[in-house]
Amino acid sequence: MTAPSKTPRALETPFLETRDLTRRFGALRALSGVSLTVAPGTILGVIGPNGAGKSTLINVITGHLRPTAGTVCVDGVDVTGAPPWRIARAQVARTFQIVKPFRGMTVRENVAISAMYGPARGMSKRMAFELADGMLDRLDLTGLAARSPAELPVGDARRLELARALAARPRLLLLDEVMAGLRDAEIHSMVQLIRSLRDSEGVTVLAVEHVIKAIVAISDEICVLHHGEVLTCGAPQAVLSDPRVVQAYLGTRYAQRDGSS
Amino acid sequence: MTSFLQATSYGLLQGGLLAMIAIGFSLVWGVMNVINLSHGAYVLLGAYIAWELHAAWGLDPLLGAVAAGLVMFGAGYAVQRSLINQVVNAPIFLTLLLTFGLQLVLVQGMAVVFSADYRSIATWYASESLPIGDVRVPSGRLLAFGVAILATVVLVTFMRRTRTGLAILATGMDRNAARLMGINARHAYALTAGIAAALAGAAGALVGLVGTFSPPDAARFTLLSFVISVLGGLGNMYGALLGGLVLGVVQAWAGQYLPGTWVNAVAFAVLVAVLIVRPSGLAGRAFYEARVEAT
Amino acid sequence: MSRSAVAWALGAAVVVAGMVLLPSQLYTGQVRVVTAVLMFVALAQAWNIIGGFTGYACFGQVAFFGIGGYATAVLMEHANWSFWAALPVSALGCAAFATLIGLPLLRLRGHYFAIATLGVAEGMREVVTNLGWLTGGGAGITVPTVGGRGTAWLGNDGFYLLFLTLAGLAVGVATLIARSRFGYGLRAINQDEDAAAAAGVNTTRAKVLALTISAAITALVGSAYAFQQVTIYPQRLFDVDITVIMIVMVVIGGAGTVLGPIVGAVGLQFVSEYLRQHYPQEHILVLGAVIILVVLLFPSGLTGVAGRTGLLDAIWAYRL
Repeated sequence: MTAPSKTPRALETPFLETRDLTRRFGALRALSGVSLTVAPGTILGVIGPNGAGKSTLINVITGHLRPTAGTVCVDGVDVTGAPPWRIARAQVARTFQIVKPFRGMTVRENVAISAMYGPARGMSKRMAFELADGMLDRLDLTGLAARSPAELPVGDARRLELARALAARPRLLLLDEVMAGLRDAEIHSMVQLIRSLRDSEGVTVLAVEHVIKAIVAISDEICVLHHGEVLTCGAPQAVLSDPRVVQAYLGTRYAQRDGSS
Repeated sequence: MTSFLQATSYGLLQGGLLAMIAIGFSLVWGVMNVINLSHGAYVLLGAYIAWELHAAWGLDPLLGAVAAGLVMFGAGYAVQRSLINQVVNAPIFLTLLLTFGLQLVLVQGMAVVFSADYRSIATWYASESLPIGDVRVPSGRLLAFGVAILATVVLVTFMRRTRTGLAILATGMDRNAARLMGINARHAYALTAGIAAALAGAAGALVGLVGTFSPPDAARFTLLSFVISVLGGLGNMYGALLGGLVLGVVQAWAGQYLPGTWVNAVAFAVLVAVLIVRPSGLAGRAFYEARVEAT
Repeated sequence: MSRSAVAWALGAAVVVAGMVLLPSQLYTGQVRVVTAVLMFVALAQAWNIIGGFTGYACFGQVAFFGIGGYATAVLMEHANWSFWAALPVSALGCAAFATLIGLPLLRLRGHYFAIATLGVAEGMREVVTNLGWLTGGGAGITVPTVGGRGTAWLGNDGFYLLFLTLAGLAVGVATLIARSRFGYGLRAINQDEDAAAAAGVNTTRAKVLALTISAAITALVGSAYAFQQVTIYPQRLFDVDITVIMIVMVVIGGAGTVLGPIVGAVGLQFVSEYLRQHYPQEHILVLGAVIILVVLLFPSGLTGVAGRTGLLDAIWAYRL
């Protein structure tokens, strides 16, 4: 399976490891036998066509769905089948593909809740709000702090989703299409932010994404899911130039553009 | 053994009638995600319509059921169009409150107009009984059972074979997609409510044929409709029929073998147990399990 | 203590003093009416904790009211307890009951939860009706208040103070919850349960705790009500209308706020008392019509209406 010449990173204990992860919905196999590893402090990009099982993968890892079979380990601890809040307290944070803000609260309160209930529990309300304010500042949301999240345009709503995840001080961050619907400038700053999380804070990231340009820019490694199975994994450029991937899943247009970029 | 068979046959006959009441309730719940707490009051309105027709012109309650069904169809349609459609997307406690308020108005209104006395519609055949083996079956109940099953089958055929029926089911699955296909959701909802009220009203006439009724019975019919809908699986019409028969038999056995009024507790015990153990119902999958919620 | 906290404490002290002195200014009949209002303030606020904050429409809340009342009556009649011992023990017993049923039932969402709890309440009424040797069955049970047994009846002013205390307790608990981390967790569950869990809220624990607190307060009120009525019947103590009235009050006032249920309880109880006195035959019919109008006209509650005039900002700012 693995190439004989392992890089030093692959020798470390993976921070996130799924083994033979399978999830069925009735007769449909949304995931079948997915085994992935993400080394500490690295970013794994997961791509694949619609319905490939990308969101299901995140939902199974975070406990929002129970796997039909297989295991999930975070930092060497088996968390398979644990409820979402317990996995969250293991310092695993996520975003949702369809944003899920608390609509009756302000943007600031949305972020503060993650700080209150995240791994650093016992944090006072005042400290949680201070942490939230810091996070709003970092994500350029300070001006919207008192607004209702229901009024936010897509870009701001996605940044709020990320701010909430980050306020929980995660060691593992699962991003479900945070770039979807963003303008180029917004994508650029999102890429900068995710890189800085890895480089300066050592956060491990699994990012599910449709925007290929962005995923190539942030990923240390890319895996391709298709019909719930892992098609291939490897270095971004190697995966993207794999003829099967290019023709079957990215379409010929990207293959043509690839040469010019 | 005879008493067991007697209780079982009684339970099946009663269950068929309960199923006819519940099937519309289940349909409304499934299609528009509304629990209609005034459903039981519709049953009694139908019973009083049939009673009045019988008292005034001696109209047989089986014909009275048809009249009650027609009148209640109009009433159900109008109530949905004018009131319930206003809150169909609101938080559930608002729809529950609205239909509860409606229930209060209808039940108290009936008590004022008809008094709270128990009534029944007397016919020459209702108390005649047919011996089948050792078991005696009252012919009124047998007739009512037959009509109830027939009405259920006709409804299911209508829903699955006609354009209108399919449009209603489609609206329940995905309102936005149905709208894109040119279905008027408000009209589809009102038709659904009308059909449910018509079945409840017609069943009410049959209730008057086989026994007694009084306005406060409304709440009991609503609750039994809940139980049957849950047993059958939300929006699953044949499931509701099965749920009605199961509940009728279980209640008949409880009445036969349990002391006191424990029989009343049985329905609720069944309800809570099914909700906890198998919320999708006895008959497999709820019809609307994969519903796309309107936004 | 900050200046605004002092102002709040002073304001609260004035309200409490006024409420305590109020009965001396009223006729006996008026004291009874205000007592009933206070009882519903406590009940509405209790329902608000599970229904308003947490968003779980508990349609079986009256089960806790009935259990509280019957536990008190049985302890006083059969075990010769005093009311003051039976009151807290009834509430604790009911809290334990709520925890037990909450664990399986709070996994259900939406209508399924509403109906399951309704089933529990109706079922409890039947259980109480059928345990005649213990509860007196349908013929009712009488709390001992004379002849050296039980506890002497408190009198109109006594019950006024008792229900005032319970209303104060309910409002106090709701205020604490609204301002606490726990309250944020409940509101998060209400608004998006998946996102709440992803943020680390132990949703099961929070929901069960909310139901338990709500049940304990409701049971306290039921216990006091049983003592006030002296003779109680299953039909009355487990009347589904009591649940619905609590919900209507919360909805009229504004669910998930502390002020809303108070406004709703005071408003609706005075209206229905007026209707009862002036239209003894049709008052329930009119009440039904009022409910329909309220749902159609004020779906977000009176506090929601106030919001459009700017009052809501103040209410939210102080988490009232």
